[in-house]
Amino acid sequence: MLEFQEYQLAFAAHIRNPSSNKKPAKVPDVRMAIYREIVFNNIFGSVSTCFPVCQQVLGKRAWLKLTKQFFASHQATTPIFREIPQQFLTFLSTFNNLPVYFQQLAHYEWVELFVGTQATETPKTSKRTDLLNEVAVLTPAHMLLEYDYPVHKISKKFKPENIEKTYLLVFRNKEFQVKFIEFNPMTFNLLSLINEKNLAGRQALTKLAEEINHPDVNTVIAFGARALNDLVEQQAIIGSVKTSSKI
Amino acid sequence: MAQLADIKGVGLGLKRELIPQIQRLFNDTGVPDTKIANINFVEIAPENWIGAGGKAAADLAWFVERYPIACHGLCLSLGGPDPLNVDFLKQVKQFLSTNKIPLYTEHLSFCSDIQNGKAGYLYDLLPIPFTEEAVKYVAQRIRQTQDILGQRIAVENTSFYVAAPISSMTEIDFLNAVLAEADCNLHLDINNIYVNSVNFGFDASQFLRRIPGERIVYGHIAGHLQADAELLVDTHGENIIDPVWALLDEAYQLFGIFPTLLERDTNIPPLPKLMIEVNKIADMQSKNTSNNRLASQYQRGVQNRSSASC
Repeated sequence: MLEFQEYQLAFAAHIRNPSSNKKPAKVPDVRMAIYREIVFNNIFGSVSTCFPVCQQVLGKRAWLKLTKQFFASHQATTPIFREIPQQFLTFLSTFNNLPVYFQQLAHYEWVELFVGTQATETPKTSKRTDLLNEVAVLTPAHMLLEYDYPVHKISKKFKPENIEKTYLLVFRNKEFQVKFIEFNPMTFNLLSLINEKNLAGRQALTKLAEEINHPDVNTVIAFGARALNDLVEQQAIIGSVKTSSKI
Repeated sequence: MAQLADIKGVGLGLKRELIPQIQRLFNDTGVPDTKIANINFVEIAPENWIGAGGKAAADLAWFVERYPIACHGLCLSLGGPDPLNVDFLKQVKQFLSTNKIPLYTEHLSFCSDIQNGKAGYLYDLLPIPFTEEAVKYVAQRIRQTQDILGQRIAVENTSFYVAAPISSMTEIDFLNAVLAEADCNLHLDINNIYVNSVNFGFDASQFLRRIPGERIVYGHIAGHLQADAELLVDTHGENIIDPVWALLDEAYQLFGIFPTLLERDTNIPPLPKLMIEVNKIADMQSKNTSNNRLASQYQRGVQNRSSASC
C-alpha cells in the first residue's frame, strides 16, 4: 500500500464511522465535518427515498442509526446509484434484531423501484389473445411475490405480528406506472404455473382443479378465465403465445 | 457515431425535473422553441442511466434523437485504492456506443475505499493527496481507462475541502503532471478553480493561466454555497457569482471558447430561470469567438482529435 493510499483509507474510514475511526492527523475538523455530512447525506437520501415505510415503522432515530450502520459497515459493490437500495437489502439480511416483517417490507419497497426501472424487451405475442388455449404473457417488467406478512398494508399504525401469507404481483404498465395486485392463493398458483411451467390457461386450471380435488373442472376454468381477463384489463397480461413458442 | 466536435456551444445537465420542461418546448415537427435555442447539448452521468429501463430509457432515447450527449462520470474512482472497475468500464463503453455519446469525462478524485479487505463505494468525490506517487498511480489508471474504452477521456479538476497534510505539490502542479503523464484531455471546471482558490487561499487567475489550454475539450460552470468567509461548498445549487463569470471570460480569452455546461444539481429552478445562465454563457462565447483567433485553432484541434479517436 502506497503512503497516499494509507491516508485515503484513513480518510474514508473516518467518514464512514467517525466514532470508531480518528480523522487523519493534522486535518482540520471543521473541514472534515463537511465530508462527514455530504457523503452520509447522499447515501441517506438514496436509501430513505426508496424505503419510506421502513423509515416510518422504525421512527426517525432508529432509521438514522440503521442507515449510519449501513454506511459504516457495508462495502457497496455497485457504482450504479439506482442499485444502492439493493445494497441496503443485502446489509439488512445480516441483521436479526429488527421487527420480524422488516426485511420483507424492505424487499417489497425495493421491488417498486426495481420494477419501475428494470430494463426489458417486449416479448412477441399472438395476434389474437387466447388465454385458455395459449400461454398468457405477463408484462416483462413484473415480479410475482410471496410474503409471510401483508407487506403492502404495513404502516406506522399496522405492524403485523403473526404470519399471514400474502401474494402479490407488482408490475409496470404502459404508462410506466408501477401497480400491484393482491391475489388469493388460487390465482397466485395459477399465474405461477403459467409463468414458470409455460402452461396454457386450460392446462394450468385443469391441473389446479386436480390438486385441490375440485368436483367440477369447468367451474375452476371459468373462475380462472375471469381472473386472467381481469389481468389483461389491468395491463398485467399483455397477450398470449402458443405453448410451443414460449421458451 | 457522433463526433467530439458535435459537443459545442452551451450545454445543460439533464436532471429528471428538467426533462418534461424541455420536451414540452419541442413542437410536432421536432423543432425546439427559440427560448431554448442556446441548449446545444445535454450531459448525463452514466451511473444514473446505465441499465435503466422504463421511463428513464424512453426519455434517454428521446434526447439521443435530438441532442448531442456528453457523459460525465462520478464513480469510476480514478484515484481509488481498489482496482479499477473494469466490468463497469465495459458497461460504460457499451453505453457510449449504444447512445452515440462521443465524450466521457471523469473526476480527478476517488470515491471508493477498502475496509476489512473489501472494496466499497462511498458515492462522493474525495480528494487525492497531491504526491508524485499519486500522479503515477492515477495517470496509469487513466491510461488503462482509455485503453479499455478505445478513446481518450477528459479528467476534471475537482473541488475539495480538506488539504492532505502529506501533499508535496500544489493542485495545479498535480493536475498538470497527471495530464502530461496520462496524455489525456482536460475537463476544466471553472467553479471548482474558484471554490478551491477560496478554500485554500490561492489566486484563481494564476491557476487558470497555468492550465494547458490545448488539452481542454470541455468545461463546467456552476454556483456554490458560501458556508463562511473562507469556505465554499460546491453544491451546484445557487446562481453563478460574478467572480466565477469573470473567470470563465478569462478562460475563453486565454484558450478560446470550449463547450461549456451549466451544472445545476440541487435547488433547481424552473427552466426559464436556468436559461438566463445558459444564455449568458452563449453571449460570452460569441463575444470571445469574434475577437479571439485561438478559438478557431481550438476548434480545429478538437476536430483533429475526434477524428483520430472516434
